[in-house]
Amino acid sequence: MSGRVLLRAFAAPGLTIVLLPIVLVSWLAFFSQEIPSFPPEGHSLRWFSAAFSERKFASGFLLSAEIAALSTAIGLAVSIPAAIALQRFRFRGRGTLGSILLFPLVIPGVVLGAALYIFEVQAEKTTDLPLIGSYAGLVIGHVLIVIPWCIKLLGVSLSGLDRGIEEAAMNLGAKPWTTFRRILLPGIRPGLVAASLFGFVVSFGNLEMTLFLVGPGQSTLPIAIMQYLEWKVDPTIAAVSVVQIVLIGAALLLTDRYVSLSRVV
Amino acid sequence: MTRTTFDRENGSVLSAATLAAPATLLVAAGLVVPLAILLRYSLNQFIPGQFMTEALTLENYVRFVADPYFRGILGQTIGIAALVTAICIVIGFPLAYVLARAGGRFKSLLILAIVLPLFVGNAVRAAGWMIAFGTNGVVNYVGLGLGILNQPLEIMYTPTAVIIGIVAVNLPFVILSFQTVLEGISRSVEEAAFNLGAGPLATTRRIILPLAMPGIISGATLSFILTMNAYATPVLLGGPSFVMMGPLVYSQVMTQMNWPFGAAASFILMLATLVLTTIGHLIVQRRYSSGRN
Repeated sequence: MSGRVLLRAFAAPGLTIVLLPIVLVSWLAFFSQEIPSFPPEGHSLRWFSAAFSERKFASGFLLSAEIAALSTAIGLAVSIPAAIALQRFRFRGRGTLGSILLFPLVIPGVVLGAALYIFEVQAEKTTDLPLIGSYAGLVIGHVLIVIPWCIKLLGVSLSGLDRGIEEAAMNLGAKPWTTFRRILLPGIRPGLVAASLFGFVVSFGNLEMTLFLVGPGQSTLPIAIMQYLEWKVDPTIAAVSVVQIVLIGAALLLTDRYVSLSRVV
Repeated sequence: MTRTTFDRENGSVLSAATLAAPATLLVAAGLVVPLAILLRYSLNQFIPGQFMTEALTLENYVRFVADPYFRGILGQTIGIAALVTAICIVIGFPLAYVLARAGGRFKSLLILAIVLPLFVGNAVRAAGWMIAFGTNGVVNYVGLGLGILNQPLEIMYTPTAVIIGIVAVNLPFVILSFQTVLEGISRSVEEAAFNLGAGPLATTRRIILPLAMPGIISGATLSFILTMNAYATPVLLGGPSFVMMGPLVYSQVMTQMNWPFGAAASFILMLATLVLTTIGHLIVQRRYSSGRN
């Protein structure tokens, strides 16, 4: 049918614009020459070893992974009870509470970063605690951006869970903690997996806010990539990107097995 | 918040307030308080060499609005946001429609193709465009090779590069917003229109677009906000002379160390975004509801 072909033709530019940068970065990682000029003189795998031996990327990767894991764990720990409160209890101010917890999502990254940085400087002045550029400051900032995603995803999962089972468990004499551990937690497993992976990816990829919070000489992977790109684009940075693309792709495929991706984003 | 009424009988001492307290306190202490301080500082004075002096003045806001340089940055950011959003709607809609009507493996693949770039980071995607737009980049190679271009284009460090870069960043969000509502529009509605003699164009304009309007509004709003706040893409593709609001806030706070002005710029950015998206909603709502009568 020609209408179908025509429709796909109209859809093609969108897909091209979305995928072209990823495809080009991935291609550049395999160029044999260093300068990103077309056509490539040949292909090579050597940039991957160059990428892995560049200390800044390796340490940035580790720091990003560490911060992401820690802030996702903390974010989940505080979001699970909060999501239960929002979904299973009726109380005054429930709507307000919900919007407060989603608030970090609507604040621009640079504004969030600026506010946290200035707050840290002032708090350090008053308390003498080393806060500026501290690890704790980084983690707190990242917990803030993880919380809204956890609340959203756990909320979807909780609202889909039949309340009757919880009530039955309680009626049969299960204490709230037992009900939570044996009924609720297994019931929202897909939501937990999605929230962990999403929280991790959101924290891992954050650039704007983190720029304000890292200490001197410290950098996360996105910051290391950004700083490198402000200087030049070459196959080494492309190889770093490819590693990241592959890891994130794997995480997304994994998430998709638990919660359909189109329902999450 | 402290007064809780359980909707089921439950002897537990756990109240909603206790459950929600840790997360709420974190967000309040970590976000609301710093934002309040930022707002307070935007009213302080900055005296070069002296850092910041306590004051209660609007001069930072006045300076921003009065200075054509800063006004230009805000205007440029708004202009780019509007243009990017328009392009995203036009390019994103057909793809979202294909996605909404697709099924099976093709659909999963398409979703992954759209969602993966979303998570790869703006800097990495900007790198892709740097490769495309360079003097010896793909665009010039293909253009010159096919004889479309007589001489290489200089796209890097132009507004065009920034616009294309941000469109690519926003498209996945826009497409997913569209797709959600398009999936909710039953096929039989389209078939009814066809059977009554409407062509594809008329069906799209008279049936699908009005029904999809909520999704179009939310997608467009998201795209507008994302562009207003853009950081990595304008820095990497626009170069040092092309400044948007995000990079301006960063340089004022971290490089110039002018906190009061950086704080004022932050709130001008958020206020402009809020006002413009609200106006946009009102206009669309009015036109949409009057079109139905």
